[in-house]
Amino acid sequence: MSRVELKDLRKNFGGLEVIKGVDLTVEPGEFCVFVGPSGCGKSTLLRMISGLEEQSSGTIEIGGRDVTRSEPSERGIAMVFQNYALYPHLSVRENIGFGLSLARTPKDEMRRKVETVAETLQLTDYLERKPKALSGGQRQRVAIGRAIVRDPEVFLFDEPLSNLDAALRSQMRIELTELHERLRATMIYVTHDQVEAMTMADKIVVLNGGRIEQVGTPMELYERPATPFVAGFIGSPRMNLFEGDLAREMGCEVYGIRPEHLEVSETEGRWTGRVRHVERLGADTILHLEVEALGPLLARVDGSRTFNPGQTVHATPNTDKEFRY
Amino acid sequence: MTRRGYIIGAISLLVAFVVFVIPFLFVAINAMKTAQDASSLDFSLPERWVFWENLVTTVQTRDYALLLAYWNSIVITVCAIALLVVFGAMVGFVIQRRPSRTSRVVYAFILAGLMIPPAVVPTIWVLQGINLFKTLNGMILIQVAYGLGFTVLLYRAFISTIPRELDEAAIIDGAKPWQIFFRVVLPLLKPVTLTIIVVQSITIFNDFTHPLYYLPGRENITVQLTLYNFQSQFVSQMNLLFMNILLITIPPLLVFIFFNRQIVAGMTSGAVKG
Ligand SMILES: Nc1ncnc2c1ncn2[C@@H]1O[C@H](COP(=O)(O)OP(=O)(O)OP(=O)(O)O)[C@@H](O)[C@H]1O
Ligand SMILES: [Mg+2]
Repeated sequence: MSRVELKDLRKNFGGLEVIKGVDLTVEPGEFCVFVGPSGCGKSTLLRMISGLEEQSSGTIEIGGRDVTRSEPSERGIAMVFQNYALYPHLSVRENIGFGLSLARTPKDEMRRKVETVAETLQLTDYLERKPKALSGGQRQRVAIGRAIVRDPEVFLFDEPLSNLDAALRSQMRIELTELHERLRATMIYVTHDQVEAMTMADKIVVLNGGRIEQVGTPMELYERPATPFVAGFIGSPRMNLFEGDLAREMGCEVYGIRPEHLEVSETEGRWTGRVRHVERLGADTILHLEVEALGPLLARVDGSRTFNPGQTVHATPNTDKEFRY
Repeated sequence: MTRRGYIIGAISLLVAFVVFVIPFLFVAINAMKTAQDASSLDFSLPERWVFWENLVTTVQTRDYALLLAYWNSIVITVCAIALLVVFGAMVGFVIQRRPSRTSRVVYAFILAGLMIPPAVVPTIWVLQGINLFKTLNGMILIQVAYGLGFTVLLYRAFISTIPRELDEAAIIDGAKPWQIFFRVVLPLLKPVTLTIIVVQSITIFNDFTHPLYYLPGRENITVQLTLYNFQSQFVSQMNLLFMNILLITIPPLLVFIFFNRQIVAGMTSGAVKG
């Protein structure tokens, strides 16, 4: 359990600045999630913390120790990769124990440690198998096991669930959250999936174009997004954002309202529009509306109400939940 | 299968038979004839089967030159292959994993080595300068030099299919660069290594011209050069010449039979699943 502190961290690839000065503190034992659109530098930032990528300037402290110039193996970190990166020629046992065998750990101790880890991850039956004889979820667990056995101060995850199917992904989300509760270790988790971020994080860091847009708890980001970018990124379906005439009318540059904060009525309302598409999710229905003078608008309504494409409806924003920038 | 398929198949088999099997049968039959019988160089069956006598005579010719040749060729092949595999894989690894100006220059040299034809006289001059001319060591180094370009190219291509995350996972596990190479990358190169061993060992073992240029001397004889034993000394002893051919074909044949399946596997398997 250690604090991670990044101070004015920057990274250039050739002439291109990819990370443009990041200051961030991750508290001990915290589950911190980096989110942002593809190419915003999440992986680069994580790899700089791990030491796989060298920073152009700035400092990194882990557990109060300046590790800016340390080797990855000396930073007290463990990393789980998106494609698992298991050694294909080694069995599960050897994969998990690889780091220990490099450190010349005595055989008995290694065996004991590997088996303890395998037990917590329900891998005991697969210890002698090669990675190619495992399912995606089992491989992911081996990769996590390889991280746990190092007993790191900080866990780093780079989109570890993106290769799994939806059902397995939500199961692994729960397992990871439980793992975090049990180990109480600091974890930094990269994803572009805002659902993963919302469900797992203690703290979300929203990145955009190599800069931090906002840092906060999931509910803080949902309720008080600091910028239109965060407003559009956090929450699903995404917030309706308008510039131009409507925003000017509202006395701001960008006006935002979440789909769930629109009141939809067949008879009357502030905006009048036509239903273009109806997305039924069961409990909820997402309406894709085309409003004159505004353009497309998303609204979330109760699943029990029926709407048909082509129908004319009226939408009224809940004035307490509007965002103005 | 269609009728046309059958016809094409039959023609291919026939061509393969004419090209590969008939010459071999010709060699085998003539190797069992007496000297007189063989000198007519025809396809008739031997009048007298003298397989064993021919074999013994061939082996004993010139004070067991054939056995010495086997020994020399095996030493050259084994040493050259060992160096090729280790250096080829290492160079391929560094060139693929650490692109830099230096590695690009090295790569350009390797490509040049493949494209520019070797010059014999300057090479001999260099070998003489460093006292390696007419030595097995010199021959080994020459074979390594000739084979390295192809080997590095093959390894580089194969290593590029091994995900870089494997190296990075090993780095985080605390592996030093040489441990990454020997404990993670090299074991994964097994299929391509087998291919290289087979292809290169047959090339080197069967090499005729290079030992002819760079390795003169009675005690330096290699297997392909034993054929000269029967051209100069016994002008008309074609039966022994054919027996000699038969004998020196055996080791490559064994390698092929033994590694057949692995060669195909090595040539077709590209990606390593992470
Ligand atoms: N080795 C490199 N050389 C040059 N540019 C790079 C290199 N690695 C990454 N980049 C660039 O840096 C930027 C950030 O990349 P990064 O991989 O961190 O994005 P990401 O946020 O992880 O995206 P994704 O969600 O797609 O994984 C991208 O524009 C990318 O093109
Ligand atoms: Mg990434």
